[in-house]
Amino acid sequence: MSLIHIEDLSKHFRVLNRREGLGGAFRDLFSRDYRTVRAVDGVSFDIEPGEIVGYIGPNGAGKSTTIKMMTGILKPTGGTLLVNEKAPYDNRIHQAMVMGVIFGQRTQLWWDLPVIESFRILKEIYKVDRRTYDEHMAMFDELVGLSALYPRQVRTLSLGQRMLCDITASFLHNPRVVFLDEPTIGLDVSIKAKIRSVIEELNRTRDTTIILTTHDLGDVEALCRRIIIIDEGKILYDGGIDKVTALFGTYRTLKVQIDESCETKVDAVRASLDRRFGPDRGITVACREAPWTNITIDQDRTPLSDVLTHVMGAFAVSDVRIVEISMENVVRRVYDGALE
Amino acid sequence: MRSYLAVVRGSTMMGMVYRFGFLAATVGNVVYLGVAYYLWKSVYGDATTIRGLTFDQTFLYVALGSTLFIVLKTYVDWNLYSEIREGIVAIYLVRPIDFQLYMLASCTGFFLLSVATLVVPTILLMVFVFQVSIPLSAPLALLPFSLVFAFVLTFCFDYGVGLSGFYTESIWGISTVKDTLVLVLSGALIPLQFFPDTIRDILRWLPFQAVYYTPLSLVTLPDEGWQHVTRFGVQVGWMVVLLAATRVLYGRAVKVLRIAGG
Amino acid sequence: MSVAIRSPAEYLRLYFLIEGQYIKARLHYRADFMISSVGMLFSSLATLGVFAVLFSTIDELAGWSFMEMVFIYAFYMVAISPMQILFDQFWFLRFDVRQGTFLKYYFRPLNMMFYYVSERFDLKGLTQLVLGVGLLVYSSLRLELGWTPGRLAILFVTLLSASLVQISLVVAAACSAFWFINSWPVLSLAWKMREFAPYPMTIFSGLMRITFTYILPIGFVAFFPSQLFLRPETVSGVVWAAPFVGIGLFAVTYLVWSRGVDAYTGTGS
Repeated sequence: MSLIHIEDLSKHFRVLNRREGLGGAFRDLFSRDYRTVRAVDGVSFDIEPGEIVGYIGPNGAGKSTTIKMMTGILKPTGGTLLVNEKAPYDNRIHQAMVMGVIFGQRTQLWWDLPVIESFRILKEIYKVDRRTYDEHMAMFDELVGLSALYPRQVRTLSLGQRMLCDITASFLHNPRVVFLDEPTIGLDVSIKAKIRSVIEELNRTRDTTIILTTHDLGDVEALCRRIIIIDEGKILYDGGIDKVTALFGTYRTLKVQIDESCETKVDAVRASLDRRFGPDRGITVACREAPWTNITIDQDRTPLSDVLTHVMGAFAVSDVRIVEISMENVVRRVYDGALE
Repeated sequence: MRSYLAVVRGSTMMGMVYRFGFLAATVGNVVYLGVAYYLWKSVYGDATTIRGLTFDQTFLYVALGSTLFIVLKTYVDWNLYSEIREGIVAIYLVRPIDFQLYMLASCTGFFLLSVATLVVPTILLMVFVFQVSIPLSAPLALLPFSLVFAFVLTFCFDYGVGLSGFYTESIWGISTVKDTLVLVLSGALIPLQFFPDTIRDILRWLPFQAVYYTPLSLVTLPDEGWQHVTRFGVQVGWMVVLLAATRVLYGRAVKVLRIAGG
Repeated sequence: MSVAIRSPAEYLRLYFLIEGQYIKARLHYRADFMISSVGMLFSSLATLGVFAVLFSTIDELAGWSFMEMVFIYAFYMVAISPMQILFDQFWFLRFDVRQGTFLKYYFRPLNMMFYYVSERFDLKGLTQLVLGVGLLVYSSLRLELGWTPGRLAILFVTLLSASLVQISLVVAAACSAFWFINSWPVLSLAWKMREFAPYPMTIFSGLMRITFTYILPIGFVAFFPSQLFLRPETVSGVVWAAPFVGIGLFAVTYLVWSRGVDAYTGTGS
């Protein structure tokens, strides 16, 4: 039996259609008009113990809703959801014993208390025996020098220190599965690396299943072997990270600012690139972020430098930016069938 | 001057959004009036006057007093406190405004709105439901001014308490002491006549009664003539003193802020 | 339904552990504690002060002497103390709900209300409790109320149910935050109602009497229970219902809380 078994899971919300204006607000008092939002719409996957899975998608895709169902906050509207062979919503307290949750921005430690006291309280809450507790704390002290932070109040810690403490706390009771939500958000590069290595170490030594939701592709690349992409309540992709890495690893978006609004120039740029390179070279031109003309290039098919040289020669370019592909773009590509 | 008027307009509009709060305050007030009615009926029993006041006078006084309490609520103490906590005060230091005047303008909108939405209905309630008669007389002319000055005085109390947020971690204690002192010693809950004489003589000169007793007695005790004028004078006096005192307090606090950092 | 992993005794032990640490941390803010306690002193005694002033001109209020009023008042102070001290976190429910910080309470293997309540322990409320107990002792000595172990037991039970009534009313009002963005007026109003608890209900008639007995039963917070000790001969059936009112109201409040917890979905998608 897999650790997490999800079959045809759905969650529908009834949302009030608010009518406009004062008259509308008045009518809303008497007759309420609802629409159904399918936040999660027929999702299925299985996760085995020890996996690190990246669960990604754009905002509003249904990520948080799925996680909230898996952690027992929301009751599913339909389908099967079993975590550790139990339905999370009906067994909240039992599930909590074998589960850990980390929110990137909000700590779950006791704000006014010294860090070590939070750990001691958690030891009591999760009924962790002395030996396990000491080993766990020793491990963290060795990994990140945590003992230096013990007497500090949580409120005095920096974001990075707090995250390390939150991770220590969430793994303290040796959960079978840990849900990480934006664990490295707002952190500087060195701390990010540290945290990723800690998570990896924990997964390696304890076989803890980890579900990671994040917008940071660096996290995903560093930790996940498997990725599930969700958009508009449906699974778009569920498989190895290599395929997706190929997708976003080599893609770059070249943003140029040509001395007119991008709308007038988009067609000209597209035509020009078509003439120079020919069609089907993995180059798409779009005008979605005025005044930038976005040229997305699949570097496996056309080198970026060539495109850049051509564009700068053919047009009066006043500013240039090169960015990696965004999460939204990845998802859009998958949606457009890039993986078929 | 125009910018302050704009602030007043802004806070009035904000007040309108807060209509649910007004509704709750009104409901609470109605309940209190019911309780007060029965309480004072019990206190009076068979007596027609106590300490020179009839039941009608006392009840009218108490009813207007509790309404006035809601109308005069400025929230300046807590607003200022949270602005200090969040370091927003530094923004004001950069702007070309007088901080005290700005704070006053920001709660004026609420005040005007409260007067319109609470005072009028309460008076109607008193006259038609509780059958209390309100005497019309000369001293009533002082009432609008006295009300405004009462508001400014209340602002001074709240502003002063809010400023203490520069020095302490929480203003809850100070704010509560202020609220209690104002409520009990100002004659808001009971006309001052009911206090023992010695205490009453002391209270006469304190700023607390200048907030409630002075304007309220204009309505409920029309025959007091020159005593009204004296009280009015005391009210104005305290208003000036406290406006000045809180200005000085602000100056001191800001100086510390500028030197020590936010 | 999930089976509890933790016994009531274990919950109690955990509670002491958490609050012990919390209080230790809070006591570092000594000045704050002092000032707050003074403030608490003032606000607790405000209504009593009003009564004292009243009694300087009258001898009795609806047949009640000043000392009897003090007893009722003291009972009220002790009865609202558990709400004040233990359920302080509910004043912040509307912020926790709004900002999404409420989500963390779902993730521990603990009863959610327990966990939420354990977040805060209001030290300044102890001032009110001590004062209330002191006044209770003083007034019962002055009134020459004989205390037998039996009567003390009844006192304890009635205090407990009275505090349950107060807790239930305020917590239920706070729970409106699960459904309304502007829930503060509801909570503030419910809290204000406590001011009427020390009033002798006999002064009321008609609609007001019904309201305070059956609709917003603050009569059960101080007056009705006090009658058992002050005027046992005049006690009507209503008073004996006190313990059940407390438990019943709390059950309703817990239901409201549970509904709110179920309905809450956090912020964002």
